Order: sequence, then structure tokens, then C-alpha cells
Amino acid sequence: MARVPFLAEAVMLACAVAAFYVFPYDLALITRFLVMILFVLSLDLVLGYAGIATLGHAALYGTGAYAAGLFAVHVSGDPLTGLAVGAGAGALLAFASGLLLMRSHGLTLLMLSIAVTLICQEIANKARDVTGGADGLRGIRMEPVLGIFKFDFIGRTGYWYALAVVVACYAVLKIATLSPLGLSARGIKDSAARMVAIGSPVYWRLVTVYTISGAIAGIAGALAAQVTQLVSLEVYAFNLSAEALIMLVLGGAGRLYGAVIGVVIFMTVHHVAAAVDPFNWLFIIGALILSVVFLVPSGVLGIPAAISDLFRRGNDAARP
Amino acid sequence: MSLLLNIAVDGIAYGMILFMISVGLSVTMGLMRVINLAHGAFALVGGALAHTITLRWGIGYYVAVPLAIAGTIALALLSERVLFRRIYRLGELQQVLATIGITFMVIAVVNRLLGSSLLSIPLPASLQHSLDLGFRVLPAHRLVVILAGIAVIIGLVLTLDRSRFGTRLRASVDNRNIASSLGINTDRIYAATFCLGAGLAALGGILGSELLPIDAYYPLRYMVLFLIVVSVGGMGSISGSFAAALALGVLETASRYLIPDAGTIVFFALVMALLAFRPAGLLGKGMT
Amino acid sequence: MHIFKRAALAATIAALCSSDSWADTIKVGVIAEFSGPFAMYGKQYREAVETYVAKHGTQAGEHTIEFIYKDVGGSNPDVAKTLAQELLIREEVDYLAGFTFTPNALAVAPLIDQSETPTVIFNAATSSINKGSQYFLRTSYTLPQVTAPLADWTFDQGIKTVVTAVSDYGPGIDAEKAFKAAFEKKGGKVVDAIRMPVATTDFTPFIQRVRSQNPNAVFAFLPGGPPTFGFTKTYNENGLAKSGIRFLGTAETEESNLQALGDAAIGLTTAFHYSAAHDSDVAREFNKAIKDKFPNAITNWASVGAYDGTHLIYEMVKAAGSDGPKALEAVKALKWESPRGPVEMDPQTRTVKQNVYIRGVERDTVSGLLVNREKGVIATVGDLGWTQ
Repeated sequence: MARVPFLAEAVMLACAVAAFYVFPYDLALITRFLVMILFVLSLDLVLGYAGIATLGHAALYGTGAYAAGLFAVHVSGDPLTGLAVGAGAGALLAFASGLLLMRSHGLTLLMLSIAVTLICQEIANKARDVTGGADGLRGIRMEPVLGIFKFDFIGRTGYWYALAVVVACYAVLKIATLSPLGLSARGIKDSAARMVAIGSPVYWRLVTVYTISGAIAGIAGALAAQVTQLVSLEVYAFNLSAEALIMLVLGGAGRLYGAVIGVVIFMTVHHVAAAVDPFNWLFIIGALILSVVFLVPSGVLGIPAAISDLFRRGNDAARP
Repeated sequence: MSLLLNIAVDGIAYGMILFMISVGLSVTMGLMRVINLAHGAFALVGGALAHTITLRWGIGYYVAVPLAIAGTIALALLSERVLFRRIYRLGELQQVLATIGITFMVIAVVNRLLGSSLLSIPLPASLQHSLDLGFRVLPAHRLVVILAGIAVIIGLVLTLDRSRFGTRLRASVDNRNIASSLGINTDRIYAATFCLGAGLAALGGILGSELLPIDAYYPLRYMVLFLIVVSVGGMGSISGSFAAALALGVLETASRYLIPDAGTIVFFALVMALLAFRPAGLLGKGMT
Repeated sequence: MHIFKRAALAATIAALCSSDSWADTIKVGVIAEFSGPFAMYGKQYREAVETYVAKHGTQAGEHTIEFIYKDVGGSNPDVAKTLAQELLIREEVDYLAGFTFTPNALAVAPLIDQSETPTVIFNAATSSINKGSQYFLRTSYTLPQVTAPLADWTFDQGIKTVVTAVSDYGPGIDAEKAFKAAFEKKGGKVVDAIRMPVATTDFTPFIQRVRSQNPNAVFAFLPGGPPTFGFTKTYNENGLAKSGIRFLGTAETEESNLQALGDAAIGLTTAFHYSAAHDSDVAREFNKAIKDKFPNAITNWASVGAYDGTHLIYEMVKAAGSDGPKALEAVKALKWESPRGPVEMDPQTRTVKQNVYIRGVERDTVSGLLVNREKGVIATVGDLGWTQ
């Protein structure tokens, strides 16, 4: 589709900037979109590029959130350092758990990733004196970004701050996926056996990819903690992992910008459906997922291709 | 000594409940190789039907339970024709998503029709008393679950390992094309197995509801529990699920008795360790 | 504060919204669960609010009141804060209400402080929330408020040894501490304090542990729904009641799931501030009004929290319109007759001062349904957790 380099990225950035002026009342909501985009991007690196299906990505997000939250409460309210702390915590957990997770695949990997998340949640619940437990970690006060831009009531600073972080992380991910590491991850996804045969250290490549993804997920969590100024146990919720997966497949995995589109569609549908008819919005989401799986298996981005396929199939109807 | 006895009695009783609520999933996911996250949805349908039939229509428990299971199977047959038969052929990830989507829709429908409070299925008076074991008491319905669990495992082993149906099913799962070219009606075999799984899910949901009560969010609340039993047991192995359910039941019960404070963490750490050393589960037959 | 509010809000509002013609309509934003496993709360709140509005009209003093409902879906501080921002900035609400979970309330504290928005908590029961902002008002209860009187009453009944069994999470631990402190101050003894993991589905091991200690009573605290269901069933089936170990609780026998507990619940003793079977004309009127409007409705403590919360909001609007600080001042010692009995606001803690009743579960002879029958008032107190 895109022949102009970075056309998709330029369009998305333009939309994000335009959103600031078009939806001046909804900056807080769009900032949550941005946080979720970052989180789903980190999942895309793992699932879309390296082909690892996990249901425990919230472990990395949540750990980033708690690390950044605790750092802000006890050490410093500087946002950027907080992000670095979140990234470090996410990467550390991803590396440690990745040593185990990357040895398995399929259902076993799904289960192991869920178990890691549940253990993290239970630890956060148990360490109530540190994390606030079920009441949430409070007392997070943020200093101005770069010492200049104060976080304001309607969330303007929060919006630009989150957008800048997402753009920076997107660039890092883009570079990573074009690098030899990203290319070998794709190779592993297509055929791990062949990659072993050509001498690629498959296991360590996967651990590296997972660790990078952990850092990005940690930044997403840290961003959420800084914007909300509260961290609750729900950062480790199974729902968060599952919804991220749904959003990614909805948009189309393995393209980065598919993650952006998936999040925007899912969260918009959720927001509108929840406002119109909260009791039944789950039905709408369920139907949406089913129709994507059956009608456009490669995600919303696959729609143009699916339509042209349909026409071609119509023409070749005689063929078996 | 009495502590050990307690752990054994409660562990086995709980393990049997774990087996009953997840055996339907061992059938659809373990035998048919479909990542069926909609398992809990069928248990919910069974439980909701049993609730409606007993409490709202006033029909007795022993009639209501078979009716509810039959209703669930009818619904499963319908959904197999319309939906699930298309899902078998999809990739793993697509299966995860499609069955989550179905689960969401079932939850929304039950929530709409029956609300989000607990849907109790009152036991008949004959099951409400407790049995005296000498050193303690055991509720009668737990004994029913233990007996039902033993009956189900024997029945399944006989059906799947010994009968013609079982041979055909395994042939169909291993290589559908060759099986159908040998004259096996694979469509019908799949549909029958799927309905068996759904029926067992309904039975498990109803029998387990004294411990894991039915409400609209049942499928999501206990999804992780079902998945643990099947993955620890190993794909493709009903006896593996049986062993895993008992082992997990005893393990969890022991951790509650001995180290209640760190129980949850220790439990999941042990599950992780087991899966790390035996990725195919206790009695798994290698990776798919 | 006031200057800040103008700087932050007025600038945007003036820039983006030209007309001020809605000045006569006061909007109230209700942030609650209308979807997900806790959708019961949203339903209870909404039924109560709409019943109050149906009875008293949409007019409060010179102003028209309008309620806007937003779905937060559960304990979800990110969403709660976003919704509060949306309500304050776009909808220009003057009051907030709802809040089932503590983190959701805490997340909006900085916002309501800056915008001087009185916020009425319909449920969240952690004592320290109201310290997060002076604009919080609470018409539900706090955990120590019902737990400590229960401990005192227990000791006065001649019960000297108790085992506490609570779910291992914030509110459970708060309840355990409050009970233990009050009970031991009286001279009783908590022989064992059991904390049960939140994920527990089979409570038999804990019930057996209680049994082996053979105390006079077990004090339990569990989240509503499946855990309470499992615990009370197991308590009964293992013959604890028969061997003389009494069950003591608080919200465990709340009305929305009470019928589901079945006969196992009969005889359970709880101390709480609201029973749907409260014996007063106001209570009967309230039950009738709600059932006339919503035939399937069941009233529980969430309903009465929302009903009284709505009353508080009406009184604030009557007295002060959209002036937050003035509204707060106007109701800080307000007294009224609630469906739960007489209540009044406590100026210091901003939580209602109310009767705590001791109740037993019985099967009502007329309706055949299980009810929480009130046996008497054991205390009239405000938030006892405020100074801890």
C-alpha cells in the first residue's frame, strides 16, 4: 500500500496533533489512548514480529507502573527519570521471566505468562505497606516536564508529554524491527528450525526481543502512573493482557501502525458503546472480535486486501 | 495425623471439583486441539438453565439437571454448526480470539436475561446434610462430586480409548483428510465430541456450583483455573487432566493448611516450575 | 483555591464554550460500574437516584438538577480520573457522585480539590479517603464504623474468644485490625487471625482451622458475591454452627445475594447500618417507591447510600447552587430521617453518623424470603477510623 516512506506514520502523527484541536474536551481520554497504544506496540514486537503469543503482558506494564509510582513517591517527581525507572523495571522482569518463558510455546507459554502476572499481582497485594494494596499507591506528585511544563487540570501537558513519549518509542521500535535483530525475529516467527540451522541463537534473540518489549511496556505503565497519579492492583489484571491482544489482532499484528489503529478502533467502540448502553457493550465487543476473526483475519488493515480477494474469488469462482 | 487426613480428604474432594469443571475443556481442547476459551461459557449456560428450571419454573433438581445439560448440548450442536466448525481450522491465536469473542457474547446475553447477581441452584434436601467421617464431617454434595468424577473418568476412558468412536476421533484429529478418505464422517465425529465437551462443561458447572457459584462472569472469573488444570495435565490426555486436577487440588489444599500466607504465590510458582520442566504437562503426548 | 479554579477552568470554558444559558441547570456526574462483574452497583445507584428524583422532582430550590451517568467498569482509577475530567470540563458538572472502589475515589481527589467540586461517595468504605480531599462527603459507612461496635457487642454477649477470618486484601485487613483492637480493648481474646487469599475458592481448610481452635465465634470479612457464598456455605456444611461457633460479619448477608445463600444463611449474625427489613415508615415508603418504579429491584446498602447521597446533593443545590465551598458548609451538620434510620453528617469526618444495628438472618413469614432482621441498635457512631 504505502509507497511513500513513513506515509502511515506521518498521517498518524498529523491525526494525533489534529486531535488536540478537534477534541479539546477529551484530552484525558485521548491520553489514555496513547498509553494503550504504547502498551499494544510493545506487544506487537513480541507477537507480531517474533510470533510469541502471551497473555501476561500486563506483568510488565504493571511492574513499570509500580516502579515509576514508588520512584515518584520516595525519590523524585521528575517525569523523565520516572519513565526510565519504569523502563528498567519492565525490562528487568521481562529478562528474568523471559529466560523461562522463551523456552516454551503454545498453551504452555500462555499459562506461564499468566502465572507470572498472577504472582506479581499477589506480591503487590501482599506488600501493602509499600504499594498500598487494594487501596492503591497514592501520593504521586509530578514535577513539571523538563522543569518547564506543569501538568494541568485539563491534561494539555499530559497529552503532549504522552504523545512525545509514544513517538519516541515508536521510532525506537521501528529501528529495532528494521535492524538485524528485528529481521531475525521475523525469521524465527516463520521458521525457528531454519533459523537454528543457519546458526542464529534463537533463544537469546527471543529473550532480547522480550526484554526490549518489557522496557516499552514498562514505560507505558509508568506513563499511566504519572498521568493518573495513582497505581492500583488492576495494572496486573488479566483483562488488560487479553484486551491488548484483541486490539493488536484487530488492527493487524506485525506492522506497528496496526497496533495504533487497533487501539483507536477498540477504545472508540468501547467508549461510545459504554456511553450508549453500558449493560450490553460486551456483546458488541464480542461481535466485533468474531467478525474480525472470520471476515478479516489479518486485522482491519487487511480490509482492502480482503475486498480485492473477494472480487478475485468472484471471478475465479469456477476454480476449485 | 489428623492434619494429613484433612489435607487428603479436602484435597481429593477439591481436586474432583477441579476435574469436573475442567473435564469438558480437556475434551474440546485436549482431544480436538481447539483452544476453547468458551468452555466456561457452556458451563455458564448449563448453570443458568439449571437455575431457571429449578428456581423459576419450580422443577425438581434431579429432573432439572439432565434437562439443563440437554439444553446446553442442543445449544452446543447449533453453535457447532454455525460457528465452531469454522474455528477448528483457524490458527491458535485466532482460536483464542474467536472463543473469547463468543464468551463475551454469552456473558452479555446471560447478564441481560438474568442480571449479574449469583444464580443459585438449590440442592435437594437429600444432598444438604453432611456425612460423619468419624474425625470430621464431609458435605454430601462433595461425595456426589467425587462419585461423578470417578464415573466420568471411567466412562471417558472406555469411550475414547476402547471404543470405535474413540479410534475414529483420534484418527480424525491426527489427520482429517486421510480419516475422511477412509470413510469416516469427520464432521459428525467432531460435532459429537464437541457436544460431549459442552455437556460435560454444563455438568461440571452445575455440580461445582456449590463451591464456584454461577453468575454471568463465571467464564472469565474461572478461566485461568480451567486452563491450569488442562495445561498441567497435558494436551490430548484425559487421564492427565484427572491426575493434574487431583494433584492441584491436594497441592492447593495443603498450601492453605500449611502456609496460608504465601499460598497463592507458592502455588503458582510450583505450577510454573512444573511447566518449565515438563512443557507438555504431566501426561502430555508431546507438543502439537 | 478560588483563583486557581478560575484560571484553570474559566479560561478553557470561556474560550471553548460561549453560551452560559444552562446556568439554571446543575449537573451531577455519577461515576459507577454499569458494566462488568460489579454492574450491580451501578444498577443499585441508578435505581435509587431515579426513585429520589421521581419523588422530589428535578427541581431543587431555584435550580434544575440533571444526573449524568458514566461507566467506570470496576476498580479502575485511570478510567475514573479520565471520566471525572470529562465530566468537569466538557459536561461542566458541579457535583460528582458514585464511587464504589477506593482507588477510583482517590484518583479524583486532586481534581475535585482544584475545581472545588463536592463529591458524594455512595459506597467506598476505606476511612482515609476523606482525608484525600475536603470535598469528599460519604453517605455509606466506613469499615471501623460497623466493625468496632460489633466487637464491643460480641464481648458483651459473653463471647470471650474469637477467630478472625478475612480476605487477604486492604479492606479485609482493615476489618481484622478494627475488630481485634476493639475486642481486645474490652478484654476479649482473638486467638487466631486468618488471612485467606483473595483467589480462594475452597474455604474448607480455613473453616477446619477455625474449628480446630474451637473459639466462641468467628468474625469474617469477605468481598460480596462468590467468596461470601463459598464461605458461608462451607461454614454451615462443616457443622460450625452446630458445635457452637457463632458467625459474625458485616456486609456478608447483604440483600442482593442473600436469597442465593439459601437456608445456609439462617442464623448468621451481622452488624451493619442498613437492612431492607428496617422497621420504619420511611423505610417501607422507600422500598415501595423503588419497587413501583423498578419491579425487580432489591434494595441494599448501595441503594440507601445512593438515595441518601442524592438527598445530600439536593440539599446542597438548594442552599448554594453551584458554589462548592458554600454547599459543603450548608450540609456539614445536616440531619435527616433515612430509610436506614436517623442519620446526620459529621462535620469533621464528612461521613454520616448513624445507628449500627445487630441483625440475624431469618425467613420472613409473610414473603417467604430471607431477610436481615434487626434486633437492636448497638451504637450510634461516626467514622471510628478517622483518628487512626
